[in-house]
Amino acid sequence: MFALVDAVSMYASCEKVFYPEIRRKPVIVLSNNDGCVVAVCPTAKRMGFKKFVPFFQIADSARKAGVVVRSSNYSLYADLSQRLMDTCSRFAPNMHVYSIDECFLHYDFDADDAYWWELGEKIRRTVWKEVCLPVGVGFGTTPTLAKAANHAAKKLSGFEGVAVLNCLQSRQNVLPKMEVTDVWGIGKRLGNRLNLMNINTAMQLSKQPPQQMRKHFSITVENTVRELNGEVRLTWDESRADKKEIYSTRSFGQRITDKNQLKFALAKHAEIAAVKLRKQRCVAGAMTIFASSSPHDAAPYYRKSLLHSFAVPTSDTRNIIAATSAVLEKIYCAGVRYYKCGVGLVDIKSAVFNQGDLFTPSTDSPALMACLDKINSRYGRSTLHFAAQGIEQKFAMRREFLSKSSTTNWRDIPRIKC
Amino acid sequence: MKFIPLKAQAGIVGFESPAVEYVELELSLDELLIDHKSATFIGFAQGESMMGDGIFDGDLLIVSRAEEVSHMTVIVASLNGEFICKRLDKHQRQLLSSAENATPHVLGEDDDFRVEGVVIRSIRLHKKITRLL
Repeated sequence: MFALVDAVSMYASCEKVFYPEIRRKPVIVLSNNDGCVVAVCPTAKRMGFKKFVPFFQIADSARKAGVVVRSSNYSLYADLSQRLMDTCSRFAPNMHVYSIDECFLHYDFDADDAYWWELGEKIRRTVWKEVCLPVGVGFGTTPTLAKAANHAAKKLSGFEGVAVLNCLQSRQNVLPKMEVTDVWGIGKRLGNRLNLMNINTAMQLSKQPPQQMRKHFSITVENTVRELNGEVRLTWDESRADKKEIYSTRSFGQRITDKNQLKFALAKHAEIAAVKLRKQRCVAGAMTIFASSSPHDAAPYYRKSLLHSFAVPTSDTRNIIAATSAVLEKIYCAGVRYYKCGVGLVDIKSAVFNQGDLFTPSTDSPALMACLDKINSRYGRSTLHFAAQGIEQKFAMRREFLSKSSTTNWRDIPRIKC
Repeated sequence: MKFIPLKAQAGIVGFESPAVEYVELELSLDELLIDHKSATFIGFAQGESMMGDGIFDGDLLIVSRAEEVSHMTVIVASLNGEFICKRLDKHQRQLLSSAENATPHVLGEDDDFRVEGVVIRSIRLHKKITRLL
């Protein structure tokens, strides 16, 4: 049996842990630079606030409705995530942390329904008591069914935070009520194509002949169909494949017009992306580099993006930064008030199976990069960084509504009235 | 600016400190004072109503959410949007201060109340800490 435990609107719930005065209020959390809404607590959701909406569009209505607005406080979320995972790990011998707010638990024995319901309740109660975060728990005989059960636990009526998909009957109860895009791994685009074939619910998807799904789509979709019928096809390692594209992009705290500032910012993004690339042991064959003004500014909208192909696929930060500097002249335009910039590494392949070029030797130094990454992971990000990123980072984040880091900064620990 | 805490070393060989083998015995207050790391948080006491229980203004409170709350335990709770430290009288459903003339707060229907955790230690900072605060 697999269980998926995940926190209910994690970021918004985290904001409530050390601020009891906002626990019953609607709370929304904004992305980096306070750009758009990334988390909405259930109360705010009921009032009609939604995720992924630019903040300026709803700022007024949020204020009028008395919504508590917060900037992303990652040091708080990371600490509470750690506490959540520590607590969950007590409930199973085998755990896999899937993301900041969800983890899979694996049980290699069978038990009756009542056992799983009770265990789910116990996990919820314990996490609520010890970490002060609300979670949903879904049990399924496969990882995909555990995900589906978790969806049911939180979204479908008749479930109070726990659901068990243990047999055909329980699947027949839940899967017809789920959109096909609610199934783990079925994205919006895939969903559209399935809809065209008249496959609209998770139940309909589960009834498709698996072989045929592989022919139409891919082995991933075949696996999904099999998993929906209770056949385990996924393992932890496969549950998250390496990324095919790595982007680092961000809007500036304030508009910038200076060429050097743009260069620094692009170099910074190049570095962030390169670290991620090396972490998954890959090299990139090309990268896109882009910068733009804001479409909401009075001046005409400016956006320019360029593709830079590497002669030899690379994962060396020096090469990737050099590419951003090389195209700077083509991207920079005097007078434009830049709002956003970034880089994207594309054409990514495994470093191990990368074919060398007979005539162009690689200029990568894996040993140097490994050393750099080790130092930065040990002593903190940017302990060593490239001069191309500049020293003073004017494009640092805007976080106007930041809460206190109640568990990671002594100055911020809560005050308790006696 | 970040500093890397590496010790400088020179290639001179002398007598090794006889204490070298014992460095791993370094004591950690966390180890002693915190039982259940992922369920523990730390706060500052503000106010004088719990002095009878040895909790003074400015003390550090170590609060465990993992502990069971029994009758008359010193707890931290959230009461109507505020963290408070009181003794919990479970039988009469009221919150007691240790100051002698203080009236207990009787928990009512309208109170937004949740036990946040048990105060497992309180720490007096006899000399002000200026370094991190």
